[in-house]
Amino acid sequence: MQTRAGSSGSDALSHAYIQSPPIRCNIPETKGLLYDDGNKLLLSPTADRVLSWKVGAPTEHNPPNSDLIGEGPALSIRYSLDQKAIAIQRSNHEVEFRNRETGLTFSRKCKQDSERILGLFWTDCPTCDIILIKTSGIEMLLYDPEQNSLHIMETKKLNVVWYVYTHESRMLLLASGMQCTVFSGYQFSAAAGIVRLPKFEMSMTKSEANSKPVLSSDDVHIVTIYGRIYCLQFDRVGMHINVYRFYRDAVVEQGSIPAYSSRVAVSSVDNVILAHQLDAKVVMLYDLFLDSLSPISAPLPLLLKGSYGTNSRSTSEESESISNAYEGMIYVDSWNFLVPDLICDVDNGLVWRICLDVEAISASSSDVPSILQFLQHRRSDPAMIKALCLAITRTLILEKRPISVIAQAMDVLVASYSNSLRSGSIPSATQNTGNRNNHATDSGVTSEQAIVSADRAKSVIGDSSSIVSIRSPSTSDDTVNPEESEEPVGDRSLKSAVPQQMASHGASVAISPDEMHRFVFTLVEDEMSGDPSYLVSVIVEFLRSASREKLKLNPDIYLMMNQLLARSNQHANIALFVSNKIIEPSKEVAMQLVDLGEQNLKIRKLGLDMLRLLTLHHDYVSVLLQDGYYLEALRYARKNKQTTGCGKMPEVSACIVV
Amino acid sequence: MGVSSMAAGSDAMQLQLCVFDLRRGQQEGQELDKILFFYPSDCPFLTQLSLIGLCEGIITFTRIFSPEAACEVIEAEKHSHVFYEAEPDIWMVLVVEKSKDDEPVWRCEALQGVLKEVHSLFKMFYMSIYALLDKQPSGELARSHLHSFITDYLSDFQLGKKVQMPSFRDSLKERGTVQMLTVSREVALEVQSLITAISSCCNGCDSIILFQDLLVSTTLPPDDTTNLFSYATLRLTPHALSSSTSSSWSYLRKGNSTPNLSNLTLLNEHQSRSLDASSLGQNRQISSIPRLLQRDKWSKGKDGFLVPNFSGGESTPVVWNQQTEECKYLCVYQQKGITVVMLVPVSSLANGEQELVQVKKEFLENVAQRVTIVEQKLSRGWGGENAYHVSGYRYLLIDRDRSVSRATPTGKVTTLTKESLLYLNKLREEVDIEKWRWHRDNPDQEKELEVCIRAKNNAWVIAKVTRGKELYMVLEKANETLLYATDAVEKFSNRYCEGAFSMEY
Repeated sequence: MQTRAGSSGSDALSHAYIQSPPIRCNIPETKGLLYDDGNKLLLSPTADRVLSWKVGAPTEHNPPNSDLIGEGPALSIRYSLDQKAIAIQRSNHEVEFRNRETGLTFSRKCKQDSERILGLFWTDCPTCDIILIKTSGIEMLLYDPEQNSLHIMETKKLNVVWYVYTHESRMLLLASGMQCTVFSGYQFSAAAGIVRLPKFEMSMTKSEANSKPVLSSDDVHIVTIYGRIYCLQFDRVGMHINVYRFYRDAVVEQGSIPAYSSRVAVSSVDNVILAHQLDAKVVMLYDLFLDSLSPISAPLPLLLKGSYGTNSRSTSEESESISNAYEGMIYVDSWNFLVPDLICDVDNGLVWRICLDVEAISASSSDVPSILQFLQHRRSDPAMIKALCLAITRTLILEKRPISVIAQAMDVLVASYSNSLRSGSIPSATQNTGNRNNHATDSGVTSEQAIVSADRAKSVIGDSSSIVSIRSPSTSDDTVNPEESEEPVGDRSLKSAVPQQMASHGASVAISPDEMHRFVFTLVEDEMSGDPSYLVSVIVEFLRSASREKLKLNPDIYLMMNQLLARSNQHANIALFVSNKIIEPSKEVAMQLVDLGEQNLKIRKLGLDMLRLLTLHHDYVSVLLQDGYYLEALRYARKNKQTTGCGKMPEVSACIVV
Repeated sequence: MGVSSMAAGSDAMQLQLCVFDLRRGQQEGQELDKILFFYPSDCPFLTQLSLIGLCEGIITFTRIFSPEAACEVIEAEKHSHVFYEAEPDIWMVLVVEKSKDDEPVWRCEALQGVLKEVHSLFKMFYMSIYALLDKQPSGELARSHLHSFITDYLSDFQLGKKVQMPSFRDSLKERGTVQMLTVSREVALEVQSLITAISSCCNGCDSIILFQDLLVSTTLPPDDTTNLFSYATLRLTPHALSSSTSSSWSYLRKGNSTPNLSNLTLLNEHQSRSLDASSLGQNRQISSIPRLLQRDKWSKGKDGFLVPNFSGGESTPVVWNQQTEECKYLCVYQQKGITVVMLVPVSSLANGEQELVQVKKEFLENVAQRVTIVEQKLSRGWGGENAYHVSGYRYLLIDRDRSVSRATPTGKVTTLTKESLLYLNKLREEVDIEKWRWHRDNPDQEKELEVCIRAKNNAWVIAKVTRGKELYMVLEKANETLLYATDAVEKFSNRYCEGAFSMEY
């Protein structure tokens, strides 16, 4: 639990923090910062160029890429997903397309008087490349890089006031109506093509009799969590946030969470929803895994933290200075929250990544089983989280918490392990297929990201275990490799399958029964020498959970149980556990019982019976011989045509003759 | 009184049971002081004294040769006298009448088993006869306890007007062993977890769980488990409760069904006797003995806990752990087929029984629901009364190491002919003796033995003893070859005994 060394300002209590140093994009002569979430690019246009930084790549000392885009205003810039072309929205009526290789450009304009261009984005949907959103509807366009031209594939006519889109979810929400509360939804995914959602309406609290509030695009957030797609709608009048979940054929309201500020922003970090209460300068955390809308913890401020002390001294000193300078600037007005977990400080040209402090979260709650549940769903830094889970479990036992609590904790951990076995995130031959099936069945509208995020979890694992030494502190674990995210899905899984499987060895969050034995029970046993029966009860609860999940266990755990029971002289219990198979028969257990039985004949016989049951003829005969049951040994050997144990037979016959 | 004494007199011919203390009444004229218990109680003192005199004489004589184990049995022409030294110098002797024909009807060890059982149950509730004698050297306390206890115990053997001791018809049963329910691993873990939950209701609380009349799990050492199991199956399980309520449907009928041992007359009779010897104060003490083996005294309360309703004494019975000599409250919770017997240490409750209410409350809040779940799982996997019947076989399987036995259900045993059962009885007697001899000569090793007998009625009567496990079997209507018989045993052994008896020649 003592992973952080050089953190600054960490004495203050917080569950989420932004990690120093930030990505710096504050180059003179640039005009603002744009974000292209399809490519995870931070874009900063200059007079005739655009500078781009890849989010997540080690940017610290890397100069940004630069592309010529010609002069003129740039309302938004979007690189194509293969990064061969750039789309630049010049005005409300014109979009310019520029081929990066040839430098050729052409423009698409719309009718000046009747419609306005609201925005555009590139898509990996099989039927089109670009979606253009206009006030009069959407156009799905195919881009031909060779001709540098566009073909209209399909248009949908409808009134649009504003739209929300995230590449992560591939979801497009189009707002219409007087209050902008009527929504049309589309999903453009590579796998499922274009999915049209039924029209739905978001609810707004009326303030007074006649005034009708209008929903703003700033108050609608698409969040992708656990591969499911949610929409969070901030109701300013009602001071609460409505939560909707998207299914293929329905939009279901999940309830609402309270808001404590007149401005609210939403991020998602490692499948946790962060509701930033900007005026109150606090953040609240929600984990929707079990559809619970109660916060994980009390509202606490967002902190600024220095880098891990593992990096070079100069870096941490530098970051220290930034931290000090930046302190007090949390939740300033110029902050722009980017999907999913970035904060862009436009004024200072800085981009911060939000991180969760899982240790602080787990330390702040006394409900250990639900904390373990929470931790088991986290995907970032699996090694650390696993260590944390193990430590929490050990503490639980050492503190001799009630067995009912232990039972719940065991259930959580074992179920999580068995889930990851089934879904294949723990290496097995059918890893990739299992993964995909799982997501396809359990999330309604399958977000493309579902697969990406699942795969990402794996690539993260690769990161942390293999290139940990060269990782820059600003690189969060939650990074998709640039090459990876652009390739078609089928391609990617083929390429990444082998190395990822290798890398994810031992780096999953889930705790295997073997690890439970080695890192919990064994360690705990050393520390709590006094009370074997408590530990036996704990192990029984573990066995119960494991048996419920039909996990195969290593005999070691049974050996330990026998050892504990024998030490506290509970020989009758050993007999009971062996006879009702709570202690599963195995050669190891049988031989241990035979040995333990040196003092207690009944226990020895249990071992002997187990050997016979397992048809371990050789050992059975040997033990019979040791005990002086020569006739029985001979009979048994003859009956089972056992010749291997008969090296001793001459002595035996000698004994009998004597 | 005259009628009842006549009835008792005819009983006396058939069965006598006495408990006496060799250390007492050493002086002439005080011999009566030796007697701690005598059944039938209206038997003339002269008869009582002559029996005890005979027994004492034999014990003293045989002790010369075998100081450790003096005398097991006297086989007279018309009677068998079975001895059991319950506590040092305190002997229990059972006298049973022999049948007219040659075949022995009783098995000595089975009769000893009865004596052992009543004594260990007695010890469970009252610590020991010694303890009572120490408490009150005049012996009245011990006498009154023994009197009510053994009388109540014998009421279970009552058949019509007679007290029927276990005979050859019971040779496929083993007293003093526990019958267990076989459960799947999953359910076993569930039960074990329930046991932990129960013990967390109260510090140091032990428990045993029964389903119907079978043991599911226990936290007690084997001897305590056996005692509590016997008591539970006699008085606590749903079966025991329903059979007792049916017999006590009305006071009238109850009076009819238990004419001889009608508790009231016995108590009166006893009191009149004790008046001679003891003061009035002691007499009050006597009337306040909780008679824990009395029938119909447990009833199911609304909350699921069984409510004891014993005349006199504390409302919650107390039992003694044999090894730790710890005193514990006996709390019984029942839900459908499942019976949870909890033993709550008296020392752990500062306010005694008032605090027990708290323990029960905690149980109801935290554990009762889990009991329901376990009950459902158990009853789903429960094969009914004949669950352990194996068609074609009539068997008794004993695991001496764990004091566990399993047998053909009683209903199925009755289909056997009298002849087969008599043969089996005889065979078991032989095996008992053989085992005893072997043990005397080879204390370190266990007897291995196999007997297959083709009886006159063409039934196979089989006994197998191997390393602490015993198997008795009767195969009627079976093929005539020995090969067939051994094959049948082999099959049975592989299928139901994990191959414990599979030894071929």
